[in-house]
Amino acid sequence: MAGFATKRLGKELSKINSNSLPPGIELVSADNFEEWFLDIRVLDSNPLYLNQIYRLKFRFSPQYPIEPPEVTFVKLADRPIPIHPHIYSNGIICLDLLGQQGWSPVQNVESVCMSLQSMLTGNSRNERPAGDEEFVRANRLRPKDIDFYYDDNNV
Amino acid sequence: MSKSQHLREEGNRHFQKGDYVRAEAIYSQALILDPSNPLLYTNRAMSRLRLSLWDSVITDCEACLRLSPDNLKAHYYLSQAHLALRAYPDALDHAYRAHKLSVASQDKSLSNITAQVLKCKKEKWDYEEKRRRRETSGLEQEVLSLLNKEKDQVLQQFEQMSDDSGEREELRKEFDDKIGRVREVFEKAREKEERRREVPEWAVDDITFGFMVDPVITKTGKSYERTAILEHLRRSQTDPLTREPLHPSELRANLDLKQACEEFLEENGWAADW
Repeated sequence: MAGFATKRLGKELSKINSNSLPPGIELVSADNFEEWFLDIRVLDSNPLYLNQIYRLKFRFSPQYPIEPPEVTFVKLADRPIPIHPHIYSNGIICLDLLGQQGWSPVQNVESVCMSLQSMLTGNSRNERPAGDEEFVRANRLRPKDIDFYYDDNNV
Repeated sequence: MSKSQHLREEGNRHFQKGDYVRAEAIYSQALILDPSNPLLYTNRAMSRLRLSLWDSVITDCEACLRLSPDNLKAHYYLSQAHLALRAYPDALDHAYRAHKLSVASQDKSLSNITAQVLKCKKEKWDYEEKRRRRETSGLEQEVLSLLNKEKDQVLQQFEQMSDDSGEREELRKEFDDKIGRVREVFEKAREKEERRREVPEWAVDDITFGFMVDPVITKTGKSYERTAILEHLRRSQTDPLTREPLHPSELRANLDLKQACEEFLEENGWAADW
């Protein structure tokens, strides 16, 4: 559906600009309706993430929000990839909310950021997903095409 | 294949290339051979829309509707032509008919037609708003000039009868106060018009974030714009909130909400393209 994503993202943007985002979430850039960058940090004193800021990249297809956005962490000099059993060291996130099955069009950029924020806040395991090294070396698929196995709902 | 069919396909080819003048001429030839083919009328109407030949679009669509009264495209193009000619009630009427037909036949054009309904309302409101503003500012000027004229007259008459400058000053002040109050009243009316405009959450679809035209309700009690939720259900037959199974046939029109949206838009046409 032409114009679907552009219109909806335009409205999300004007909402963000007028109401501002929740604490710990900041819009870095939204220069077009294909790619946005946001910074997030956890608000409590979880030692795994203390004093760290993480950079998120959102990529939208023209079918957004019918299709989920592609959301990954980006590594920069002052923006590491957060350690988490569902986040690969190349920034790819394994979260059912972002998958073809778990996505819902009532989600939005703000709600996705909040979910990721609470995913970090609730974690106490200082580890990467099983097979991280192998995955990072071998994976050539886009995140949305990876068939993650959401086996562990306790993390 | 008949000669007119050949011509129609040739017309389609020119249309696709963007040569609307040629397409229109070729559809006209086909219509001479086959004047009772509704398809040829809507084809030609479409070319004429691109050429901004509004009156001819209307003629074609009406010819088509005489042959095929429930022709979705004819109603849709008619709405566009009437809108271009600022015939708002006709534009809206045909947009609604196209919408109804499109819902009934599950046609792909539903989202475009929904947008057309909103566009009709928005343009009608814009037009009326402009007129209201022009009339109000005209009225203000008229009232003020009448008051000023009367003030000059009364003061002049007073001067001829008396030379009590104190009383004269008082009379002048009385008029100036009155003029000030009239200005204030018009100013206040303007402020009210321009007060902060906010779209109520209940009128906004959570999928497109657009103003709802045809809200439908799900089992959870949440309403969405019909075209948006159908688009989602094509991809995944789940309720957006609960992810429980949801089939398109389970959607119901939310008539009260639809009416509330319509009434809100009637007073607040700006909300249409929020």
